[in-house]
Amino acid sequence: MDLETVRKRAGPREFGPADDMPERYRTAATRMIQFHANSEVMGGYLDKTFTRKAPSLDRKLANTAKVQDEIGHAQLLYRAAETLGVKTRAEMLEELANGDGKFLNCFHYPVDSWYEAPMIDFFVDGGAMRRQATLKSTSWTPYAHAMDKICFEEGFHVKHGESILRELMNGSKATQERTQETFDEWWPRILQFFGPTNDESVHDDFGRAVGLKTVTNDELRNSFLNMYIPKAEKHGLEIPEYPRIYERDDGTMAVREDDLDWDEFRTISRNEYEGSHEQIGSRRRRQEAVDWVRKSLDSWESSAGTTPRAAD
Amino acid sequence: MIWEVFRQEAPGDYHEHVGNVHAPDREMAKLFARIQHARRMQTNSLWVTPREEIGEVSAEDAAFDGRTDKSYRWAMTYNEIDASFAEEVADSESEQREAARKRREALRDEGNEA
Repeated sequence: MDLETVRKRAGPREFGPADDMPERYRTAATRMIQFHANSEVMGGYLDKTFTRKAPSLDRKLANTAKVQDEIGHAQLLYRAAETLGVKTRAEMLEELANGDGKFLNCFHYPVDSWYEAPMIDFFVDGGAMRRQATLKSTSWTPYAHAMDKICFEEGFHVKHGESILRELMNGSKATQERTQETFDEWWPRILQFFGPTNDESVHDDFGRAVGLKTVTNDELRNSFLNMYIPKAEKHGLEIPEYPRIYERDDGTMAVREDDLDWDEFRTISRNEYEGSHEQIGSRRRRQEAVDWVRKSLDSWESSAGTTPRAAD
Repeated sequence: MIWEVFRQEAPGDYHEHVGNVHAPDREMAKLFARIQHARRMQTNSLWVTPREEIGEVSAEDAAFDGRTDKSYRWAMTYNEIDASFAEEVADSESEQREAARKRREALRDEGNEA
């Protein structure tokens, strides 16, 4: 299929492995899905820190269930990415380990307190879910199918995250202050989650032209602000003065992008931030630690593991 | 030999199991699958696979995680939180509510039989 045909036909769940897709489409879709899969892995690893920090058995249980979900999402997405025939799962995991694999900015910041749990589980996951709901209409069918299951599960994460925020903001004055301080620290990162404005986004135009994306970064960020700012305020959080949020003529909210630290964002997107090294390194060491499991599975597959081939 | 047949109605849909056919090889299986399952039904794509290549998990095994209280991992548990502010969160909750209802019913039916 040539690019012109792809552009013409582009629509929700329009293309699949049976279609002969041009190189540029397959490369763009692989980049996007691999980024998404990597983010699920890195988010899951970050989140598991909270199991130890969680203040009650219920929270610990819910957190382990969430981590299990996220790692499962990564597996679904690596499979969806593999259907494009550009990279194997092993190659993508290797890239993540050696620092070439890219992932969401918010997962480059190591966490060390329970106050950070709702920042990830409510705001970051809530933002992710905004985006993921729109990806149910992506043009690459295996990606859309992965979204069906992921979105089914995510509602629990976001509600549990808000439940933690609510609990903290109903705690002692000191707890509320610590939560506010943590929010002040995370808020700019959360706003940058949606990436730079459309003008600066390199991959946005092509992704939209071929139906991989259906909504722009700006639209996602602004709809997120409209939904999550009232939620934050409802629980008693104050929105920091900077970056400035303003109301547009149509009543929707937007952020003054110049108030955000894009140098830090770009350092992160090159995996060169201090936290990037820490997060990538700690996951790599765990991948190496279970290398023997992968090796034994591989040797099993190549010896006794396969069922007899059906005659063609 | 027996081949299981999966039909996808329109592009973007899931391939769903629709039945099986006798056939000596893959090419014949595809032919019989077309005649049997795609001749009248709207079909975008068909898959055939040898039945012996399919691994099955029985109802008993599939239910292994439904016996203990795992309410902490359902959206409905956090009912102090209003999900209606975001359509996608509300959708996820209603899908989970439906899945939980089906599981509960299955468990209840099992209890009645015992």
